[in-house]
Amino acid sequence: MEFKDLDPILHSQLRLAVISLLISVHEADFTFLKENTNATAGNLSVQINKLKEAGYIDVKKQFSHNYPQTICRITPKGIEAFDNYVKALQTYLKV
Amino acid sequence: MKPENIMTEKDSMELITSMINKAKNNFTERGLLYLIWGWVILGCCLISFVGSYYLHNPKVQWVWMAVYLVLIFQVIYIRRNRKHRRTRTYTGEINGYVWLVFMIALFLMIFICISFQTYQLIDPLLLVLYGVPTFLTGMVIKFRPLWVGAICCWILALMSPFIPSDFVVLEIGLAVVAAWITPGYLLSKRFNKQRGAVTA
Repeated sequence: MEFKDLDPILHSQLRLAVISLLISVHEADFTFLKENTNATAGNLSVQINKLKEAGYIDVKKQFSHNYPQTICRITPKGIEAFDNYVKALQTYLKV
Repeated sequence: MKPENIMTEKDSMELITSMINKAKNNFTERGLLYLIWGWVILGCCLISFVGSYYLHNPKVQWVWMAVYLVLIFQVIYIRRNRKHRRTRTYTGEINGYVWLVFMIALFLMIFICISFQTYQLIDPLLLVLYGVPTFLTGMVIKFRPLWVGAICCWILALMSPFIPSDFVVLEIGLAVVAAWITPGYLLSKRFNKQRGAVTA
């Protein structure tokens, strides 16, 4: 059986958590991601930037009632990467 | 959380499942609109019944104008909520379209019944229509009280030809209790429970 390499961008706990949340919703804001991953704001911000640089997510900054709001959405490239990652995991786990 | 370098394939799969479940169980529906619509329609039904059956006063039907006030409130509420929302879900979008289609169908149905002067058909058809978005929303968000309430609406619609026409308006009152008010309170309870769990 051929074992595929796991995508290093996704094979990180926090980045994988973020992508798994974003695959399930249309879009989500920073607070939602922070609450559900239990990450610190600084760490989450760094990992979101890495996912953005890889083209896996789109990040939109806007103001909501005079407060800055960061909205994240998974891109088609991110969906494809997540799909490949899960398939690779399945070959390892023989699911 | 474990350090990143010792995350195994099994850990990854468990993390994915746990995050997807968290997103799936993020209830954004707090039931407020169900409660407002439910109580207003129930109030209108009771006033309309008492006014026409006991007081024989046709002017009492003006009470239904309250629906326009709720409609204005709903537009403001949805616009305000849109700015505050933290996630946009696929189910939320589907439900939005389902209720939009319901509103359009409702106004078209009332317009057609009034144009053909078939006023006695309005209430039974309202019961049929109430069930449609309620059932679909119940199925989409997997919330049993909503689809059970929808089935109650259709049973009441089926009963309406056998009930004196003056009393059919009371059936609408019963329908909104089953389809909107009861699920509205249960949705609100579920939402508050989730919020309590997050802040705890």
